[in-house]
Amino acid sequence: MHCRYLLTLLGLVYLGATLPVQAQPPAGPERVLSPSHAMFNELLLSGGPGKEGIPAIGSPKFSDAGDADDYLKAQDIVFGVYHQGEAKAYPQRIMVWHEIVNDSLGGEPVSITYCPLTATAIGFKRGSTSLGVSGKLLNSNVVMYDRASDSYWSQIAAVAIEGPLKGQSLDEIQVTWTTWARWKERYPQTQVLTERTGYMRNYNRDPYGSYSPLHGYYIEPQVMFPVTHSRPELHAKQMIRGFRTSQVAVAINREYLEQQGVVHYQHADRHYLIIQDSRLDTAWVYESDARIALDPATLSFTQDGPQAPELLGLAKVNMIDAMWFAWATFYPQTVLLDAPDSL
Amino acid sequence: MPLTVFKRWLIGLVSGAYGLLYLYMLGDIDIGTAGWSWHNLPWQWAHLLSQRSPWQFEALAMLEMGGLVILLSPVNLLIATTLSALLGLNLHGALALRQSAHCTAISSAGVWPSLLAGGACCAPSLLLLLGIPGLGAFVSLFAWMVPLALILLLISRFWQRRQGAPALWSLF
Repeated sequence: MHCRYLLTLLGLVYLGATLPVQAQPPAGPERVLSPSHAMFNELLLSGGPGKEGIPAIGSPKFSDAGDADDYLKAQDIVFGVYHQGEAKAYPQRIMVWHEIVNDSLGGEPVSITYCPLTATAIGFKRGSTSLGVSGKLLNSNVVMYDRASDSYWSQIAAVAIEGPLKGQSLDEIQVTWTTWARWKERYPQTQVLTERTGYMRNYNRDPYGSYSPLHGYYIEPQVMFPVTHSRPELHAKQMIRGFRTSQVAVAINREYLEQQGVVHYQHADRHYLIIQDSRLDTAWVYESDARIALDPATLSFTQDGPQAPELLGLAKVNMIDAMWFAWATFYPQTVLLDAPDSL
Repeated sequence: MPLTVFKRWLIGLVSGAYGLLYLYMLGDIDIGTAGWSWHNLPWQWAHLLSQRSPWQFEALAMLEMGGLVILLSPVNLLIATTLSALLGLNLHGALALRQSAHCTAISSAGVWPSLLAGGACCAPSLLLLLGIPGLGAFVSLFAWMVPLALILLLISRFWQRRQGAPALWSLF
């Protein structure tokens, strides 16, 4: 009898061991897409460098916050990620040369991605595969590929647009676009990506211009590569905060959110609360099936984001900073919240 | 009649400056904030021939000297040297023809293909710097600019030789 149990157990272990390792990135939630999404694969353009011509960082090296002060200034832009209790910062001046870092946080494999042309920094769960830069652009935004299936993925749409996984979405993790001083204050235990990337680059120079002071591509009104849609409400390169769900895409004017502190938005039967986090200079989005009656006076911020009794148990929605033209071309149907009457 | 020493120096300066400009436009030479350091990758043949984009190769080492940053890519250096040497030869041929030609059109014709071809190498970087809208439509053509420049410079030099420009060995 015992022998039968043992054989069954061994059989289960064997079956478990032979299950395919999850090579492809885990599927993310359904999100709204552009009306042009069916044509995305026909809209791919060469960005100049070929596949892997912009090399993703595969073996990132990190320093602690104290050592990072030697090569980061307080106002330097970093892309901060706090995931499963681990904080890491990725300096923009390194990311601008590589666009993707294949890393892991809290034991989970993730890819932190950045597109300089659209100013979008987005984190994705990558499973056991890794992401690379395809050399193609879609609507001026980086197109990534996964090295397991060679499927091509749009960064902003977070969906496969060509290859065996076409149509699948990626699961995101929130990336915070902030400054080194602000990130270090909130996450003093953070690790910081160093310049020991395995590639020779002049990390003191941004080939597109500068964010401090703002000049070059980052402020010019022209968009370098063709886009499918445009909307005139804001300057093309103005930074907005955006989020999208299965039903709606929303952009929030940053200045408007800073003035308001919190913004409520309702779409159909879904309620959204957008919270300004001034110390980190970012925003957090919550979703509920009823209006979220938050008293801003009770709000505090920790490493896990906003804390208030009304937020307990609510679903967080990933917020993305982006240039307006980029958000508008991927989500031409987007709601733009920039005044009280736009709600 | 051989070119004067001044003209020879001028040709050397122009072609040398072109080589440096080419490397600057690639980003292999840069001026700005830097420290004093030397970094290099462990030697591997794969690194030497690893491409960043068509006709642009990965650097194997980086030298920071105060305000000057130099990325050392042997293949980029070879391409820059070849282009600047061909540009120098073209300028020499054009000036020699100008000195001896009876026809002004023939004498000046040799200069333009070389300058046009030389300028083409830096076009992608220039367009990026100038923020020309719709750049993307031309990006796939940029891959052809370096070989186009090399071919134009070679054709132009052969054409000059047929018009009576001095042979290469007469320069030394």
